[in-house]
Amino acid sequence: MNKIFTRISTLLLTLLLMWSTGYGQTITTVRGKVTDSKDKQTIIGASVVEVDKDRRTVNGVSTDIDGNYVLRISNPNNKIMVSFIGYNTQREISINGRTIINIQLVPSTNNLDDVTVVARRKTNNGTGMNVDDRDRTTAVATIDAKVLEEMQAGSIDQALQGRLSGVDIAATSGDPGAGMSIKIRGTSSLNGATEPLIVVDGMPYETSVPEGFNFATADDQGYAQLLNIAPSDIKDISVLKDAAATALWGSRGSNGVLIINTKRGSIGKPQISYTFKGSLSQQPSAIPMLTGDQYSMLIPEEFMNRNGVPLNTQTVKEFQYDPQDLYWYKNYSNNTDWISAVSRTGNLQDHNISISGGGEKARYFASLGYFGQQGTTIGTDLSRITTRINLDYNVSNRLRFRTDIAYTHVLNNQLYSNVRDVAYSKMPNMGIMEYNDYGLLTPNYFSPASNIQGYFYFDDKNAIKGTYNPVAMAMAATNRSLGDRIIPHFNLQYDIVKDLLMATTDVVFDINTQKTSTFLPQIATGRPFTEITVNRATDLDYDVFNVGTKTNLLFTPHLNDKHKLQALMSFQTADNRYVNQNVMNANTASSLFQDPSIPGRTQNDQIKLGSVQTQYRTVAGLVNANYGFLDRYFISGSLRLDGNSRFGENNRFGLFPSLSTRYRISGERFMQRFKFIDDLSFRFSYAQSGNAPKKDYTFYNTYGNFDWSYMGISGVYTQNMELTNLKWETVHGVNYGLSFALFNSRVVGDAEIYRNRTKDLFLPGLRLATYTGFDAVDMNIGTMDNQGWEFNINTQVVKSKKWRVDFSFNIAQNQNMIREISPLYPTENKAKINENGKFKQFLQVNNPFGSFYGFKFQGVYKDREETVATDKNGAPILNPNGDKVYMRFNYPATDYIFQPGDAKYEDINHDGTIDYKDIVYLGNSNPKFTGGFGPSITFNGNIKLSAFFSYRTGYQLINGTKMNTTNMYGYGNQSTAVLRRWRNEGDVTDVPRALYGSGYNWLGSSRYVEDGSYLKWRTVTLRYDFDKQFLKRVKLNALSIYGTGENLITFTKYLGQDPEVGTKITDAFSIAIDNSMTPPPKVITIGISTRF
Amino acid sequence: MKRIIYKVSLLILLFSISSCKKWLTLQPQDGIIRNEFWKTKEDVQAAVIGCYSSLLGAPTGIKDRALVDYLFMWGELRADMVSPGPGMSVDEQNIMIVNILSSNPITSWKSLYRTINYCNTVIDFAPDVKKVDNTFTQASLDAYMAEALALRSLMYFYVVRTWGDAPLKLKSTSTDQEIQNLGITEKATILNQIVADLLKAESLAAVTYGNKQYDTGRITKYTIETMLADVYLWMEKYNDCILMCDKVIDSKKFSLVPGAIMYNNVFFTGNSTEGIFEFQFDAQKLNPFYAMFAPVSRRLNASPNVLEAIYTQDFVNDLNVDRRGLHAAVRPGDNMIYKYMGVDYNTSRTPDISYAHWFAYRYPDVLLMKAEACAQVGRGQDALDLVKVVRDRAGALIATERKPDVADKDGIADYILEERAREFSFEGKRWYDILRNAKRDNYRRLDLILGMVSEAVPSDLQQSAIVKYRDKNSHYLPIFDDEISADQTLKQNPFYK
Repeated sequence: MNKIFTRISTLLLTLLLMWSTGYGQTITTVRGKVTDSKDKQTIIGASVVEVDKDRRTVNGVSTDIDGNYVLRISNPNNKIMVSFIGYNTQREISINGRTIINIQLVPSTNNLDDVTVVARRKTNNGTGMNVDDRDRTTAVATIDAKVLEEMQAGSIDQALQGRLSGVDIAATSGDPGAGMSIKIRGTSSLNGATEPLIVVDGMPYETSVPEGFNFATADDQGYAQLLNIAPSDIKDISVLKDAAATALWGSRGSNGVLIINTKRGSIGKPQISYTFKGSLSQQPSAIPMLTGDQYSMLIPEEFMNRNGVPLNTQTVKEFQYDPQDLYWYKNYSNNTDWISAVSRTGNLQDHNISISGGGEKARYFASLGYFGQQGTTIGTDLSRITTRINLDYNVSNRLRFRTDIAYTHVLNNQLYSNVRDVAYSKMPNMGIMEYNDYGLLTPNYFSPASNIQGYFYFDDKNAIKGTYNPVAMAMAATNRSLGDRIIPHFNLQYDIVKDLLMATTDVVFDINTQKTSTFLPQIATGRPFTEITVNRATDLDYDVFNVGTKTNLLFTPHLNDKHKLQALMSFQTADNRYVNQNVMNANTASSLFQDPSIPGRTQNDQIKLGSVQTQYRTVAGLVNANYGFLDRYFISGSLRLDGNSRFGENNRFGLFPSLSTRYRISGERFMQRFKFIDDLSFRFSYAQSGNAPKKDYTFYNTYGNFDWSYMGISGVYTQNMELTNLKWETVHGVNYGLSFALFNSRVVGDAEIYRNRTKDLFLPGLRLATYTGFDAVDMNIGTMDNQGWEFNINTQVVKSKKWRVDFSFNIAQNQNMIREISPLYPTENKAKINENGKFKQFLQVNNPFGSFYGFKFQGVYKDREETVATDKNGAPILNPNGDKVYMRFNYPATDYIFQPGDAKYEDINHDGTIDYKDIVYLGNSNPKFTGGFGPSITFNGNIKLSAFFSYRTGYQLINGTKMNTTNMYGYGNQSTAVLRRWRNEGDVTDVPRALYGSGYNWLGSSRYVEDGSYLKWRTVTLRYDFDKQFLKRVKLNALSIYGTGENLITFTKYLGQDPEVGTKITDAFSIAIDNSMTPPPKVITIGISTRF
Repeated sequence: MKRIIYKVSLLILLFSISSCKKWLTLQPQDGIIRNEFWKTKEDVQAAVIGCYSSLLGAPTGIKDRALVDYLFMWGELRADMVSPGPGMSVDEQNIMIVNILSSNPITSWKSLYRTINYCNTVIDFAPDVKKVDNTFTQASLDAYMAEALALRSLMYFYVVRTWGDAPLKLKSTSTDQEIQNLGITEKATILNQIVADLLKAESLAAVTYGNKQYDTGRITKYTIETMLADVYLWMEKYNDCILMCDKVIDSKKFSLVPGAIMYNNVFFTGNSTEGIFEFQFDAQKLNPFYAMFAPVSRRLNASPNVLEAIYTQDFVNDLNVDRRGLHAAVRPGDNMIYKYMGVDYNTSRTPDISYAHWFAYRYPDVLLMKAEACAQVGRGQDALDLVKVVRDRAGALIATERKPDVADKDGIADYILEERAREFSFEGKRWYDILRNAKRDNYRRLDLILGMVSEAVPSDLQQSAIVKYRDKNSHYLPIFDDEISADQTLKQNPFYK
């Protein structure tokens, strides 16, 4: 830290010295009048300044009421400059010994409304170099934030879904404040860190919270607000995809880099914009579940099928239905729809007001936003205030400051526990509110301490288990997070040699604090007061303090027209500190005492105080150069040295080179005859980048305290083993690319083929023989490939005065496979094929991940005769006594004899037993193609209709929801599909009999495997921009309104809720299982945006 | 001007590079690293206590059941004294009905080896502390070493009785460079290692830590001698066993608690005069038993057989009870396993006071072990006398009295086995007692195990269970699949291949 300050102050001192050299010249006076060039009126208040040769302001005055000014000039060689809002600035008028200079200003009103961008689009990889889009040598996709502004999205990542090829974004849950997972070109690491690096205005932006933040009920959802930049503040987003592009960002960029630039002020009078978005969202009707009456038919039958003993409804009064026993009868004879009881219509409002403008010297952009959302599950909401000020100040032609300050305040009410899951399985004959012994409805939630379904408890790792009244949980328990984050960013640019050598320094601070308070009142669970689950209060605070610096030296020599050269030297540091403190107590005297500061019980190994402190630092040095020759040959190379505090001394530094080239074949003479080709280029890149582990301090053997003492004495234990062998995981990326632009750039596209080979693949938690005392170790274990291709095309199909039709299309494929692996790595997944609900997977070197195996489901045994085992020819198998042999399961280890009504699996080898020898290939969860497309139609320039579709084809999904809602294995509620279950000898159906806690009716089989291909109509927007005449009447600069519908239709053969399931690759056995109970909500949004 | 800037930047660069290395060296602030631990005798004590703490539960961040949960299941599920409760998991059920597969996570030995590693850490690093801490005496180092050695031996004794052949790791794991495949060690070799370690520990151990709680909660010389007796009995070295038992008996440190106050004193309060080694759960660290035995959806019940056949009831005089049975081991009516759940006759524990100890060894164990050994070496009368002492204290019912001939080795052994069931009900010893008796003299008494099947296994599965139990290898658990896949040199028990 100290060093950073030293560095900054040295720089500032240097600048101050330079400042003072300008003084001490002879003084003369210049006077004159400033008028409008059109109507010759005088201009009052125009600023007239004396500037030196670097355009640094030396002295300045304003014109008086008659437009006159008098300026004392300190150096006759200096120039004067006149500016006024609404007029073009008169620049650098030489004095040449004159004492009277009259100036006419030209009004600039036209320029304000129609800014025509003539310059070519440039891509900034975030490090400071600007490269023409058409000259870049790497794979980069850019999207203008305008395209996204019509969607209802709290965070920009939500809006990006499906827009860019090779970028896969999926929501973790539909509740407000839930996080998103972003993946660029698949997963090149099994490190758990698969999120890309996000760079905002040139500096890395932290979106993860360190390990150890898993206290109480806080889970992944707690991190959601990390990317809390108001979408309307964003100007554009670029995605750096190939390794050569991300190599400049080093280790943190090896999962791809997302570059976000926020809006900045431009010269002109103040412009105020206001945007509004409002939307309504509704959970579509979910899986139909049994009613209370149907459920109470199922459970006794299910219980009796187990071993012929009927359910004793004298003791299990939940199914007694005795009107004499009013308490039990009233409370357990309902038909409650728990899902609709915890659902509601969600709404959202998003207001954003911004002001921007500026003059020659200073420019500003300031915005204030409010975002409020009520989730579709009761008890969830989010409100957020964001503010941002981006200031640019040009001290002189050579020295510029930028100061950006962003502040966010978030209040988020989340669920204490995922009530939706419990609501699905909750017994529907139970009521929401309790009836008393006289059968009268009371105002209390019906939360029995336990019933046949079980009871609420925390397991020994503090995870919520068991069941409870979901409405009581959602309404009575609290889980409230309050977050504040402030990010000041300072930037200084100095042209050491004008147009040749520029130095920039960035310092960004990121102060992020969050407090989460939770409270679990007695009524939410119904547990007795002696338990520590009752009135449990927790407070969790965390503070993150990051300091990042970046010092660049940019060299841009102007050679002759044939050569283009840019070179960059960069030095970057980051220091990241994280502190968290947590407190928990329980059994406060009343459910109204909700703060852990109120005395309660604190002595227990679950209830405790805790704190975590971690810190890590990185440094990096980078040298990068781009060279272009004849507008045809481009080459770029870089070398990056990374240092990371997460490694032991031997492996602390890593050196990673990159090289990328582009050959514009269309620039060659022999291509000139193809007039329709504007650009045709080939690209090639190769780069290495290192990836550091996620955890701090793993190279130490640390000793920690047990959470409990032994007879009052504290015990210490060795917490880990020292990871001396751990080294950088290196991604070697190769990318072949093709870019083209045809027919006056009406057809523009890219194609890419890539392979990211991860060597020294780092695997956290590699399974270890537990006789070591540990069951897992983090290790570099092998080589993994992540390969695929992408194709992307944008066309203007029609372009006339009235009509304009654009169409964009992208398609991609990505696969992961293991090339080499440590023998310690298991060759098959942990799942046991002889247990219900499990699928088998095998690790096959050089084959893509995602294949799964299981039994072949053939329906249900309709009667006893059908369970006879048969040989290849269909003849019954006889035992030595000549009796028929019946089908068995897993003989001899389990030796279960199949009964009529049981699920029938194909006996592949005809040995009369269903076991691991009968499993077959069932499917692969790697999509063949993924992508999206959409047209956009503009009429008259002000009515715009756009739509977007996304698709995925050629893969299989495991319908986990179907498995859970039709297994009839426990006391949970089931879907209405089980109404057609097998009941009597001879029934022909596809749903086996109900069998409580036994049997093999839901083994991993083809029954649950379905084609997951889909085409989804993700959005449609109709936008209308009001025309100029109307705007003039209402005195506005711009006004548009629009309406958007999201998640309208999904075309698929898949029978589950939503075929769009993200596969999170955490090991070689990651497959797509759909456990979602609810499809994504349908959302209708209306919005207004205006400028005045 | 330019030159100044160049110079300044050059200086900054040089300064940065030289200090980079230092800047990147960070140490954890909320834990201590090994190089800074092992400096004082207090560090050694903390590490030794840590070994004991691990007996109560897995440390934070490690997903595992408490060790005593496993100890209970390994010692009771396959035997005849428990029956499934409504909350019993499929895995537990499968062990119970002798449908044991190597995929069953209850066959994982990781909780034992975790403690073994903590003990190994002490054994590896404690001796060096003496070089840095002058106040650390040889005597106290010896005592700490004895505790670590003895605790490690106890864990290995569980390993060898539960899995038979198993890996033998005598070095701690502190860096990833030490990971290597160990393979399997013969059970005889492990037992010899245990004996050697225990004998060494016996010579080093402390006799007392100053008060009864510490003496019961930590390992003393007498604890080690009791363990040795148990190990010798398992190894069928009866004279050595008697020798060790006599050492404990002659110390006069332990005595049986009178029957009238026995339940409260021994099981509710703990650390009684008959306690030799008890895992010290307390209000701060509760035991896992409440969830296992108490709620409606409990995992385990006492088998109805326990009250009917093992303790029996006096239907004439209902005040005449075996003090270890009714309302002590079992609560009648709902067959709750009451040993860990009761406060007294009528009151049962609430979850917040569920901290009954785990009784690794109690004094009656010494007496009955000696009896068992005596019976085998032809001292039948001594054996019967010892059994009588134990029975009289508890007021065992006349219906359970046997009168074997003093020369009838098997008769006496069976009687002792029955008495052990009554004395140590639900203390995780039943299966090991049966197995020890069954395997004696090259499985002469295999019938003990086969006979138990009719009580423990549902009728439709009894035949298959009997067939399995005829294979001696089936008496040991399989090595859990995860272990085999992590170390391919581990040889699976042939029965489970």
